Amino acid sequence: MTSPLSLLNDKRVRDWIYQIALVVFLVALAVFFVRNASENMVKAGIASGFGFLWRTSGIEVPFVLTGYTQADNILGLFWVGVANTMLVSVIAVVLSTLLGFVIGVARLSSHWLLSAIAGAYIEFVRNIPLLFFVLFWYFGVIAALPQPRQSLSVFGVAFLNNRGLTIPLPDGLESLRVAGLLILACLVGYIAFALWGRRRQERTGRHAPTLRVGLVLLVAVPLLALTWAVLATRWDVPALRGFNYRGGFVVIPEFVALLAALVTYTAGFIAEIVRGGIQSVSHGQTEAGAALGLRPGQILRLVTIPQALRVMIPPMTNQYLNVLKNSSFGAAIAYPDLVSLFMGSALNNTGQAIEIIAMTLAVYLVIGLAVSALMNWYNARIALVTR
Amino acid sequence: MSAPATSSVSLWRERLLGTPFTAFVTVVLALAIAWVAVPLIRWALIDATFRGTTRADCTAGGACWVFIRARFGQFMYGFYPADQRWRPDLAGIAFVLGIASVVLAPQRLKLSLGLAMLIILPLLGIWLIGGGFGLRPVETRDWGGLMLTLFISIYASLIAIPLGILFALGRQSELRIVRLVSVIFIEFWRGVPIIAVIFLASLLLPLIMPGGIDIDRLARAVIGLGLVIAAYMAEAVRGGLQALPKGQREAATALGLTYWKATGLIVLPQALRISLPAMTNEFIALIKNTTLVLVVSILDLLGIAQASLADPNWVGMNMEAYAFSGAIYWLICFGLSRWSRSLEKRRRL
Repeated sequence: MTSPLSLLNDKRVRDWIYQIALVVFLVALAVFFVRNASENMVKAGIASGFGFLWRTSGIEVPFVLTGYTQADNILGLFWVGVANTMLVSVIAVVLSTLLGFVIGVARLSSHWLLSAIAGAYIEFVRNIPLLFFVLFWYFGVIAALPQPRQSLSVFGVAFLNNRGLTIPLPDGLESLRVAGLLILACLVGYIAFALWGRRRQERTGRHAPTLRVGLVLLVAVPLLALTWAVLATRWDVPALRGFNYRGGFVVIPEFVALLAALVTYTAGFIAEIVRGGIQSVSHGQTEAGAALGLRPGQILRLVTIPQALRVMIPPMTNQYLNVLKNSSFGAAIAYPDLVSLFMGSALNNTGQAIEIIAMTLAVYLVIGLAVSALMNWYNARIALVTR
Repeated sequence: MSAPATSSVSLWRERLLGTPFTAFVTVVLALAIAWVAVPLIRWALIDATFRGTTRADCTAGGACWVFIRARFGQFMYGFYPADQRWRPDLAGIAFVLGIASVVLAPQRLKLSLGLAMLIILPLLGIWLIGGGFGLRPVETRDWGGLMLTLFISIYASLIAIPLGILFALGRQSELRIVRLVSVIFIEFWRGVPIIAVIFLASLLLPLIMPGGIDIDRLARAVIGLGLVIAAYMAEAVRGGLQALPKGQREAATALGLTYWKATGLIVLPQALRISLPAMTNEFIALIKNTTLVLVVSILDLLGIAQASLADPNWVGMNMEAYAFSGAIYWLICFGLSRWSRSLEKRRRL
């Protein structure tokens, strides 16, 4: 004989009641919001659905990589935004990693002054809003650059002025494509060689000259190939005609400012990660390596870096995803990224708030989830196996 | 040669000039510092103008700090009516006194006093700054400057901290659906750019409310920021919850405490103490991200600095405005991060 009330004394039953109550509450909330939204949209005369994506956009974009024109549809505009966001994020990730590594290693330097300067940079950058850097680079630095006629020349091929950075554009892509394929082949060859070398070492104990082969395949050959390709290609070098530069490709000042802000800001955070990673490898590890008879280079390569990387990878992934998200700060200076083009211009023109917001957020979420999944897989592969 | 560095002079000589290579690096770096610092100091101090009232007084060629003096009230309060500025000041003082009274109160009163302050202070702040009930109403459109930066940061964290704790507990819960809901909430808000969330809040909140209910522009931004920071706070709290030995909750349960009693009396007091540095760091991030309300034309400190550049009477004051606002942000964030670091050190000891 169990009365219905005594069922409540069963923890499992209670747990289920709580969870069902939560689900009912969330569903009710969602229904409430959706009903209000559809009523408000009917009142405002907005049709829901994704049909608007095939309408002509009519929005002019100053910085296009995809061949989009004003006459294309709004979906085309969406891809312009995605491409611009990806472009600035990828370049910012590469440059801020390089700068961050330099600053992080400088912070650990035994030279007191060098370490102090790196520390001052880190403390300066980390305690100031990123938007400050974006506005500062755009309105403070780029706007203060000289007119096109007094441009700052970078080796006479690229020119920096207050209308942006003018860079040379290749006339034909054949030689560059050949060089790219060659570099790719070298990369594949190197990976194959490294795998073979490691397997042979595990089997026979014989060392493979992986480092030397790597230097040839990953540094020397690509450098030669690139030099040849750059020389073999005809370049459209910008030249001053009248008041501005003609020819070449103009990187708009918004891009330059946003990139500079992202790199200077993120480098401060990456430097701290690098410092933490290197410091996390205890001195005993290095000494043990030396006691085993490893050379300093081998200690660095086989003992220090693998262990430091293990500590550095999760926070680095976070920083890279932050760069992707922070690239939307370009909206404040009208860099045509996904948020400012799609959530800004396209939304203003069409009024399709819900669809546009959902698509924009989905891009960030999908990329974020993909990168996290990749990093988790890599992290699991190199994680310490404790028995 | 390698005499032990006894006096500080020889210590510094060893540090900076120890080997020829060290000395070389020192010289190069010193030259680089001089190259940057000398023009900077000349601009900011030696050639700068401090006295005067208009742009015409700035003739020395350096920084025109007159601009900051003339605009100081705006940088602090935005377009808040000048004769009413005692109200945000009073709210700030009440806030500090309220927190001090909780910190200094005897142990047995702390909890009830703290909860009372948690309800009284925010309402008092909104009343004092916003007006009504006997005070002249000031529309949120006129709020601005540093006051608004602090207002948004504090009120957004009033949303973020309770929600964050709730979702952190949810993520650790045994109930599968609760866990799933918490994970989705946290990962969703952490995965999207804050600037998009501020756009989203200002566009969607009016849309999903019943017709006729109008949410204030500033409130939308605060809610949007609060939701995102809640997700980050949840991760900060999770760190503390995970660092706490499992035995604590098990012991509490064995003593017969219910889930909420065990959580409120045993787990959270210890876990929050562990996560306080991480939560402070999230608060610093919140202060920095508050600047993004600029995109929905709410003018916080950085927004006011940016807007002041458009004044035709003060053309070309970019550097002065950025230097002043940047310095304030830096002082606040640096101070907080030092505090959080000292908290962490104290815990480790």
